[in-house]
Amino acid sequence: MNNLDIKKELVKMLGQDKVLTNDLDLMYYSYDSSFLTKLQPVTPTAVVLPASTAEVQKVVRFAYEHNINIIPRGAGTGETGGCIAVEGGIVFDLSRWREIVEIDVNNMQVVVRPGVIHADLNDELAKYNMFFPPDPGSSKMCTIGGMVANNASGLRAVKYWTTEPYVLGLEVVTPTGDVIITGGQQARCIKNVSGLNLTKLMVGSEGVLGIITQIRLRCFPRPKARGIAMAVFDHLDDAPATVLEVYQAGVLPSGIEILDASAIKAVNDFKPDIKLPDAEAILLFEVDGNPPGVEYDGQVIKEVAERRARQVEWSTDKKRMAELWEGRSITAAAAARVRADGSRIFAGEDISVPISKVAEALRAIRALGDKYGIQVVNYGHIGDGNVHCAPVINPENPEEVEKVEKLVDEIHRLAIDMNGSTTGEHGVGVARRGYAVLEHGPAVEYMKKVKAAFDPKGIMNPGKLF
Amino acid sequence: MEFRELPPVKEQLMKCVRCGKCRELCPVFAEIGIESAAPRGHVFMVQMLRDGKVEPSPEVYERLGQCLMCETCSANCPSGIAVHELNAAARAYLSEKNPSRGKDLIFEHFWTKPEMMKHSIKLASLAQRLGLQKLARNVGLTRLLPGDLKDAEKILDNIPLRSARSQLPGYTPAVGTSKYRVGYFLGCGTDFLNPEIAQATVEVLSRNGCEVVIPQGLKCCGLPHMANGKLDVTRQLTVHNIKLFDSLNVDYIITDCGSCSATLSQKNLEFVLAGTPHQAEGQAFAAKVMDLTVFLIDVLDIQMDFETDQKWRVTYHDPCHLVNAQGITEQPRELLRRIPGVELVEMPHAASCCGGSGTYSVTHHQVSMQILDKKMANAISTGAEIIATCCPSCIMQLSFGCKRNDWDAEVVHPVVLLQRAYKKALTTA
Repeated sequence: MNNLDIKKELVKMLGQDKVLTNDLDLMYYSYDSSFLTKLQPVTPTAVVLPASTAEVQKVVRFAYEHNINIIPRGAGTGETGGCIAVEGGIVFDLSRWREIVEIDVNNMQVVVRPGVIHADLNDELAKYNMFFPPDPGSSKMCTIGGMVANNASGLRAVKYWTTEPYVLGLEVVTPTGDVIITGGQQARCIKNVSGLNLTKLMVGSEGVLGIITQIRLRCFPRPKARGIAMAVFDHLDDAPATVLEVYQAGVLPSGIEILDASAIKAVNDFKPDIKLPDAEAILLFEVDGNPPGVEYDGQVIKEVAERRARQVEWSTDKKRMAELWEGRSITAAAAARVRADGSRIFAGEDISVPISKVAEALRAIRALGDKYGIQVVNYGHIGDGNVHCAPVINPENPEEVEKVEKLVDEIHRLAIDMNGSTTGEHGVGVARRGYAVLEHGPAVEYMKKVKAAFDPKGIMNPGKLF
Repeated sequence: MEFRELPPVKEQLMKCVRCGKCRELCPVFAEIGIESAAPRGHVFMVQMLRDGKVEPSPEVYERLGQCLMCETCSANCPSGIAVHELNAAARAYLSEKNPSRGKDLIFEHFWTKPEMMKHSIKLASLAQRLGLQKLARNVGLTRLLPGDLKDAEKILDNIPLRSARSQLPGYTPAVGTSKYRVGYFLGCGTDFLNPEIAQATVEVLSRNGCEVVIPQGLKCCGLPHMANGKLDVTRQLTVHNIKLFDSLNVDYIITDCGSCSATLSQKNLEFVLAGTPHQAEGQAFAAKVMDLTVFLIDVLDIQMDFETDQKWRVTYHDPCHLVNAQGITEQPRELLRRIPGVELVEMPHAASCCGGSGTYSVTHHQVSMQILDKKMANAISTGAEIIATCCPSCIMQLSFGCKRNDWDAEVVHPVVLLQRAYKKALTTA
């Protein structure tokens, strides 16, 4: 079937307002936040904007029948090219499907459609004193569907872990056009070990097994209090050492974040009001819970951190906490500010290493940056060993692009060598598929077999993961 | 300056990491919901234009033209990209490649000459009063406005017969000792649509010790031209106005219109005058430009030591060109708080766009109305009887919003309330 006929059929199925067919409109779906699509955007054959399971199913069945690739997409904030039609096909933009189907207060869970924005969901849950704990830096723009597909986590994974443990069940349109419900068709329970755990399989599968059309999430009681400690260090090595010492003192913060000197500069440049002190490294500890517990934990952190830090600030003031936490959450995009003619790129940005090796990893990344003459802004979730590094380059300078590609490759290999992973939370997509065998060995073949069982024709988001 | 050489195009395009933060902040994207309406989509498309990956076609203009230039994205971009400047630069390039006689007529001839503007608005106003809209339409008068006339008529209701300039002297002395000599940048919206604001501005400034000069031959600030792909005309207007004020020896250049002060700000003039020999004088001029409320609070620190028996429940709407373009939120509120009899009630999302944006409410009527309805729901929830705001375009849009929602509220500039309070003063300290 040629592209023109595909578009005509899609319009027949969904109506003109739910299908983008104009070449110009399609170009806008050629990118996500990855460096690779910035260098090489790839335009899909068509884009559909479905808003019901029946509509998704209709298009998937059509695609299956005619061997057309299908690619699910949320807000397009991913960093790996995971939602790009790299081998052509129909992109499903699910970001307009923003329905919170049900807030089941009595069972502490919520049922949503994939396009709901993370921050919007938590705003709504707050009315019931509940929350969905994972907290990606992109909370205000990423979709729950995208979070589930990538098993996203973020700033509070130290205590609350990733998206995966909160997903109780999913409705999925499989690549053959079936609709299945994982986690029990009628289930409303929280614990459930019945059957093969397809929910767990789907979470983090990056859209290669099916299209997630509904999500049942477990919610937690919303903590009543919060506090943030900021510790300022003159020596980088003191930061990870302090993290360990805080754990050893019996405190599990909800988040522990690190900013290195260049990240501090970027944040101050973007939001001068935050006034982060100049330093080799800053640690931000967030604790949450009941007010006396928060205060207690805060004091312990302060006491422990003061052994190594030049300065420690403990705050429960709402405005100050919002500033500090915002400072961290905007680092990702603000990193570019360290160089007037530069842009941060999302490549090699998400390695995960054992917490005992964080300091070594940070030093090694710095050395690699020096080796290639590229400034690398380091920040990330030091509490769980997930380091985000942002190379800052001029992406329009081919020499710098060539150098940064080598740098990124070395960073990925470094992570594997250090008993870590090439990605802690952003996913593999296209960007890291080349490391699959190095990371997983013969297990990759079994991953392929699992995919083939769901997707016999290989139409489901091809060119990703492995 | 050639499109590709303009500073934002040259320096900022590559900075976009497509993080998507702008998607969720953009009032237009909230209504349209597809990537071509997202600010990062616009940045992407400008890059495609620059790189010759798309033809500079009217279809591209249509996509970029969906943006109403509220600058919410620019104010919040972590990478520091002035998305609206990129868009304005691209529109200029696209307009140059796709000349439109109608547009040229409006923006190069009609809206550059205050006299022409005045006469046409007068005619439109007369036609409205006589119920001759149809006639006006038939003779092509209102065709000079872009977009759908039927909608334009609804929004451009009750155009005053006399402009502010025809009613105000070129020089008004200060009451008492003169503290400052102030040039009044009397913008087109205030002049033609809200002359009562201009009267209040002059009266309040004079009463508080300022000589007020309204220069003869003052022209538009150039924002409508910039937003409609006529950056070169904006440039000409800017240079004209700079020279005009240069000879007046004023301490400040005050405007009551948020869009004028944003357009004449240092940051914007740096963009508008890029590549011209006028950068230095532009910056010197812009350094004197100040929003009226900022001047009244920060410079004059006016105090109102009197009482009135009036009670006004007022909610404040932040014009995009004050809050996003200039970060001004506190002074208009502080001014309102200082007015005796005013009870200020915050509306939810006071800083979200009203969807007016000059001609946008006409050219993109449906989206504009959707944005407006959200704004009105927030405003109505306050139970206020007055919406105060500092932009004639917002006033026009919000007034229409009141009508559209059968809500009997008044929309005014804070300075008009201040003038009223002076008139109602019971006791003076």
